[in-house]
Amino acid sequence: MLGDQSSELSESNGENESPTLRLCANGACMKTTEVEAKLDEGNIQDAESSLREGLSLNSEEARALLGRLEYQRGNVEGALRVFEGIDLQAAIQRLQVSAPPPEKPSTKKKVPREPPQQSASQHAASLVLEAIYLKAKSLQKLGRTTEAAQECKSVLDSVEKIFQQGIPDAQVDTRLQETVSHAVELLPALWKESGDYQEAISAYRRALLSQWNLDNESCARVQKDFAVFLLHSGVEASPPSLGSQVEGSYVPRNNLEEAILLLMILLKKFNQGKAKWDPSVIEHLTFGLSLCSQTSVLAKQLEEVMPGVFSRVERWNCLALCYSAAGQTSAAVNLLRKSLHKHERPDDLVALLLASKLCSEEPSLAGEGAGYAQRAVNNAQGMDEHLKGVGFRMLGLCLGKQAKVPTSDFERSRLQSESLKALDGAIAFEHNNPDLIFELGVQYAEQRNLKAASRYAKEFIDATGGSVLKGWRFLALVLSAQQRFSEAEVVTDAALDETAKWDQGPLLRLKAKLKISQSNPTEAVETYRYLLALVQAQRKSFGPLRTLSQMEEDKVNEFEVWHGLAYLYSSLSHWNDVEVCLKKAGELKQYSASMLHTEGRMWEGRKEFKPALAAFLDGLLLDESSVPCKVAVGALLSERGKEHQPTLPVARSLLSDALRIDPTNRKAWYYLGLVHKYDGRIADATDCFQAASMLEESDPIESFSTIL
Amino acid sequence: MSDSSPNHDSPPPPSITGGVSEPTVANESDTNAKCQTALQSLSSIVTTATIPPTISLLLEDNAVSAAISSLLQLPDSGAGDNNLCRWLYDTFQSAEPPLQLLVLRFVPLIAGLYLSRVPLRQPQAGFEAVLLALYAHETTSRAGQAVTVNIPDLSHPSIYHESKGPAKNNSTCLNIAVISSTLDPHGTVRSTRRARIVGVALELYYGKISSMPRESKLNFCESCEKWAGQNGEREEQKPRALIPEEESVAVGGRSEKDSGRIPLPWELVQPILRILGHCCLMGMKGEEDREVSEAASKACQSLYLRSLHDINPKAILATGSLLRLREMALDPKNQIDHTEISSDNVLSV
Repeated sequence: MLGDQSSELSESNGENESPTLRLCANGACMKTTEVEAKLDEGNIQDAESSLREGLSLNSEEARALLGRLEYQRGNVEGALRVFEGIDLQAAIQRLQVSAPPPEKPSTKKKVPREPPQQSASQHAASLVLEAIYLKAKSLQKLGRTTEAAQECKSVLDSVEKIFQQGIPDAQVDTRLQETVSHAVELLPALWKESGDYQEAISAYRRALLSQWNLDNESCARVQKDFAVFLLHSGVEASPPSLGSQVEGSYVPRNNLEEAILLLMILLKKFNQGKAKWDPSVIEHLTFGLSLCSQTSVLAKQLEEVMPGVFSRVERWNCLALCYSAAGQTSAAVNLLRKSLHKHERPDDLVALLLASKLCSEEPSLAGEGAGYAQRAVNNAQGMDEHLKGVGFRMLGLCLGKQAKVPTSDFERSRLQSESLKALDGAIAFEHNNPDLIFELGVQYAEQRNLKAASRYAKEFIDATGGSVLKGWRFLALVLSAQQRFSEAEVVTDAALDETAKWDQGPLLRLKAKLKISQSNPTEAVETYRYLLALVQAQRKSFGPLRTLSQMEEDKVNEFEVWHGLAYLYSSLSHWNDVEVCLKKAGELKQYSASMLHTEGRMWEGRKEFKPALAAFLDGLLLDESSVPCKVAVGALLSERGKEHQPTLPVARSLLSDALRIDPTNRKAWYYLGLVHKYDGRIADATDCFQAASMLEESDPIESFSTIL
Repeated sequence: MSDSSPNHDSPPPPSITGGVSEPTVANESDTNAKCQTALQSLSSIVTTATIPPTISLLLEDNAVSAAISSLLQLPDSGAGDNNLCRWLYDTFQSAEPPLQLLVLRFVPLIAGLYLSRVPLRQPQAGFEAVLLALYAHETTSRAGQAVTVNIPDLSHPSIYHESKGPAKNNSTCLNIAVISSTLDPHGTVRSTRRARIVGVALELYYGKISSMPRESKLNFCESCEKWAGQNGEREEQKPRALIPEEESVAVGGRSEKDSGRIPLPWELVQPILRILGHCCLMGMKGEEDREVSEAASKACQSLYLRSLHDINPKAILATGSLLRLREMALDPKNQIDHTEISSDNVLSV
């Protein structure tokens, strides 16, 4: 073969090169100008005969050469006319006969040795197949895509027929291979263009599952194209046929699985250096895996990408997004700390905002988060000014969370008022962001500004059309804090109407508590009975085969129900019922400070102080910040302190500690008052009792912090 | 196509809220008859355009679609006694695929108007009936089951690659991802399930997206931009409104531009992104496709900004990658046709 591997590739078409175009065969060469002139006159016959004479070719060869010339000159219509003059099907028939008959039914590509005749037939085949391929390309350019696809398909069918045993690697004709590779790649594209998507899918699978000896680059291109098609076409592909399955190998069942598999394989190829890095692959994979909420898998893929592809900050930030979406907060925060380091990219707004958001969820990180948020506010300028409001919002959230970490009363109130200020600042930027409205409401509620809180709660429900459950719960809690229990119940009932049964658990518990507050214990018990029925229905409807994530998603938490019921009975002094319920709850969750607290109440109610104290102390050992347990121990000790003075200082320190964590705990204030009274500090006692009574008037039936 | 459609596929005869019962087509098992009835009843509702004689023509008919769209955009279009809503409901309930396709074509507009109108407290029983019909259809067709995906693990060999790793137990090591959770039947739209019900309607729409006309996709992109709200886009970048700003009059204290902003939980965002992915990246060749792709990329941009404001990492990842992919696709560097033959100077046999 003569140099058809010429490396002089040029993007521009025929025009510029036509003077230097030459036709060569059998050792002779000729310029194309003369032939082109004849073609331009529409005289194909003449052009053909001059080629046959000049280069000593047969008619088919001359036609094929002419077709290619026309195609390369950009005259696709002319090319098509020339190709239509060759009986390509007959040529293929002939080739099939001349090809050696299949001796072994082997599908392997490599066959040890072939007679020299093979290369002659390869050459002839190459010529015919190239002609058909160019015919397909010409039809494509003329917009006749369905015909083009059929021609292109016939290239592949013919290859399979002619070379039933495959072609030996060493002897494969480069030009033939080129045509085959082109056709393999073109066919699915043509079916896509013609709108025949099922054909496109089978063409892609044929390209990838049969042996075409594709080089790595073109195989990678086909894999990527197919993955993109599967991801975005919206055409559901039926699973691959059974014939293509090797035993034990993974077979994707649907589009997303197949697409993700292909993209992962591509990434692996890049990492192994088998194909050139294509940035779109990782983006498609990002899209696909985010859709499936599998960002931790995505993080693993990103970590495997070779160094040098991404800058390290880019990689850290992207990984942080992945981990935070997967709920792995501390991994995400650690990465962001690196990328926001002063030597890296300390002003990156997205990273700053994400970091502050993650920190706002954790009291111990809230201070750090406030710093990030402040930096975000400072850096949100110019094009990014719209993000200033988000920065303020995060600042407010972080400061609010920081106020929960006990420092001093002064510090706490400073943080709380700054938090409010920041959230107010945010609302100037985003006056109708419902989330912000909600957060502002909760902040007001925590500071017992119930009027403002209820206004924001209502605004939130309006803005979201009642679609968010926590909005309803919040309004009910605010109303309960205002001691407007019957209204709170109306809100709870309205919320129940808007909720599907599996989401009703928290609302029903709320309702039961409201009933108790209204001194209606029988109805409260009734509500719990309904809750228990719901728990059982839930267990039945989802069956025993539930995945872990589904367990976590259970809206009706059985433990909470039993524990709530135990608490309810304890306030009714039905101690035997309490015991039964606690036993049930204990089967579901062995160690729980709140459960031990209820158990302590039970012993207390039965006047058995030793086991009561033991239960409360166990609760404290489980959770040293458990305020109810602290208060309970303090209360027990202060009661006994009437006679035994020495216990009073212990009670006092426990109660003060409880108030440091939760300054709005009215019971703690009350018992602290008692301690002062027994110790003879009447003025202090008065202050404490006053605080307790004020708080009683604004105490929600569940803590506001349970909402966020 | 068989003459009698299987009974379990066709839901009970339509009974729309407060509807006066019309002669229904449910007993007619013949497809053609159903289509003809649908066409006839449509002609009594749409008076401004001539209804073509067959369903396939109707799908393509821009004049009729435009007429239906403008009827849908009337302020009280979503009411329970709205004729068009009832027609859409009945038509979908006919269980004839081409008729259902026709209803799905209007899902972007209905969902867009419905969700944005929720805070306005207008009666929308008509829209809700249509959306619930779609939801019920999907609930029945997959028996309420969740749609899951096994995330492949390359250490197992697959049909597309070999692996030297030990052949482990195939099923246990895979990551299972839920892409559409289980569906409970709903007779009414409870507000906390609203996003899910609309999300399922969008999933159905995505399943037929390759048959959807350009206008429908443009409607969708427009709805997305409204849902995302204003998050710092430049004013001049805002495209001309396909949907007239009819709500702006009705909105009280809220900013007009922002009137469509809605909460965007993942159950809504996920199907939205799948549809946008299609509109953004599939077919950038024809003029029509390009228009869709441009609109989709604008919608994507809005959603990207919105997800920054919500600091929603999953949505940031997905929208960000779509935007970068589109940029790459537009880059002439990436538009090389690899199926083109090399243009040599020497042509040989």
